[in-house]
Amino acid sequence: VAKVIDTRKGRLLLVALVFAHLVVISRQVDAPGGGATLLEHAIFVMFSPFQRLVAGGVHGIRSAWTGYVDLRGVREENRVLRDRLREVETLLQERQHAAGEAARLRVVLGLREVLPLETIVAEVVTRDAVPWFRSLTLDKGREDGVLLNAAVISPSGVVGRVVEVAPHAAKVQLLLDRNGAAGVVTERRRVTGVVMASPDAGTGDLVMKYVSALADVAVGDVVVTSGFDRIFPKGLVVGRIRSVGAPSGLFREVYVTPSARFDQLEQVLVLKGTTPEPAFDEAVQ
Amino acid sequence: VKAVWTGLAIVIALLLHTALSQIAPHQARVLDPFLLILVYCGLTGGETHGMLAGVAAGWVQDVHFGGTVVGFSGLAKLLVGFGVGVAAARFLLAGPVPRLLVLVVATLVDALLISRLAAVFDVATEELAPRALLARAVANALVGLLLFEFVDRRLRGERRT
Repeated sequence: VAKVIDTRKGRLLLVALVFAHLVVISRQVDAPGGGATLLEHAIFVMFSPFQRLVAGGVHGIRSAWTGYVDLRGVREENRVLRDRLREVETLLQERQHAAGEAARLRVVLGLREVLPLETIVAEVVTRDAVPWFRSLTLDKGREDGVLLNAAVISPSGVVGRVVEVAPHAAKVQLLLDRNGAAGVVTERRRVTGVVMASPDAGTGDLVMKYVSALADVAVGDVVVTSGFDRIFPKGLVVGRIRSVGAPSGLFREVYVTPSARFDQLEQVLVLKGTTPEPAFDEAVQ
Repeated sequence: VKAVWTGLAIVIALLLHTALSQIAPHQARVLDPFLLILVYCGLTGGETHGMLAGVAAGWVQDVHFGGTVVGFSGLAKLLVGFGVGVAAARFLLAGPVPRLLVLVVATLVDALLISRLAAVFDVATEELAPRALLARAVANALVGLLLFEFVDRRLRGERRT
């Protein structure tokens, strides 16, 4: 037996490692959301400081270069920005008026006040480095207040959720990942559905599923989070409807162009704390 | 000593991939520096070294760049590393053309294994279009060939001195 083991050491090791992998993968598949294995966590904690160091260096060089390049054409940009500021100030006055009116109506109708979201600003350390999964690594982790399953957003829209947390790093599953999803509602007619990555590879689009075939949805409608998934708070912009598919049975598929620029993310906001659970009657509605 | 160098190479691959994903995200999705390490280990160190390097590189890649279920890349790279080691023991794969071929085949097998394993375990992954897969194979083959040549020259130089 000893001789057989000695001569077939390599093959026995291969069989043992393959078996171990199958067990580790099966355990994760059987317990979705069960968190990371000890090995996964150890590797993530061990190497993420090096990644942060490299990402910091790249950021430093890039910002120095951008600073130099940006100096050129500053006067012209200044003029354009001043014009834009005037437009925005006018718009702001209109919005302030509308917000005041909305607050008054909210009081009249007895609705809950929308809670302000507490966030943590995080730098993107790595993004989308393998073709099969869509993920990001952030430079903020548990010790900065990042929690597992926390929603990650950018100023332009929803980005994804935290799936792995180390003391000073976190891994984010993008909304574009084939295993990601979010509960959504259209802003215009409050049509609910679930957005997930479009099955058409590489389009960068989202598809809104479980939309009633009779629902009133139109190209250009803004899609926001519904809050029913208990990960993303309600009212965050996800994207705009790009096209509406033909009804198939009870439902139709609606294609959504995401608002977040996933390929240009440098900083994101991680939501602190848990999302308030929607009230029962609100969920039914 | 071999294990230390392999570990160091994996850390360098991780840092390189991190930097590349910041500077050129699209190119980072095409190149797989972790695969280059296990192919080189399989070619020069045999099946055991190839598969152990594959497991280590695959797991680091899985944890840092993979999805919510980790281990697909680890298992795929374990099998690829073993296969390269077995092939290197049976055939003469020292020249640039055979190495180019090994890198192309290793990339294709790695991609095929990852997508098949994910399908078996019912984990959704993004489908790699044939053109993207070919681009990945060519990029890995060219970069790998240059890298292997560079490492070989350094090792030869060290042996001479």
